[in-house]
Amino acid sequence: MFIKKGPGETLFSKKRKQCPFTAAGVRHIDYKDIDTLLKFVTERGKILPRRITGVTFNYQRQLCVAIKRARHMGLLPFVAEE
Amino acid sequence: MVKKVTNHLYEGMYILSATLSDDARQKALDKITSGMTKRGGEVVKIFDQGRRKLAYEMEKRREGHYYLIYFSVPGSMMPEMWKDYHLNEDLIRFLTLRSEKVPEKIEFPTLEV
Repeated sequence: MFIKKGPGETLFSKKRKQCPFTAAGVRHIDYKDIDTLLKFVTERGKILPRRITGVTFNYQRQLCVAIKRARHMGLLPFVAEE
Repeated sequence: MVKKVTNHLYEGMYILSATLSDDARQKALDKITSGMTKRGGEVVKIFDQGRRKLAYEMEKRREGHYYLIYFSVPGSMMPEMWKDYHLNEDLIRFLTLRSEKVPEKIEFPTLEV
């Protein structure tokens, strides 16, 4: 049984995460900003999917390019060793 | 009709070998900047970001000296410059991108996640 709590909301529906980039009003994701980029990769260095981080589609695309540029310049690892 | 040559603003990140002495590194940097001025461009600003550990080994090197250079050159000169960079042995890696403006400082606000 699903108990309706509101429009489009059930007992089991989670609260939707807000995109951190939209909230901060970021205009451009820079590849030099490693501290920010590190929040969106796993310990191994993989890019986190947006279903986990809640980043919007548009920003995820920018983020993806920024992370790849940072990897090219040796700022982020391709594969982090344990 | 005369074609007008317009210079575009670029930002380039360059990793120079950390094993070079200060003089040799300065010379390598001059080589990069002279390559810009020689082709009708100008160097706007240079940020020395210092020695940094590389995230992974590149050409058997674990450390590099990072430079961020803002410069303007005609866009048609970029392929020539890249060719020079690939021949330069002191330069481990580079990345040149179009830029809109020159920042005062390389700083970023922290993002709340």
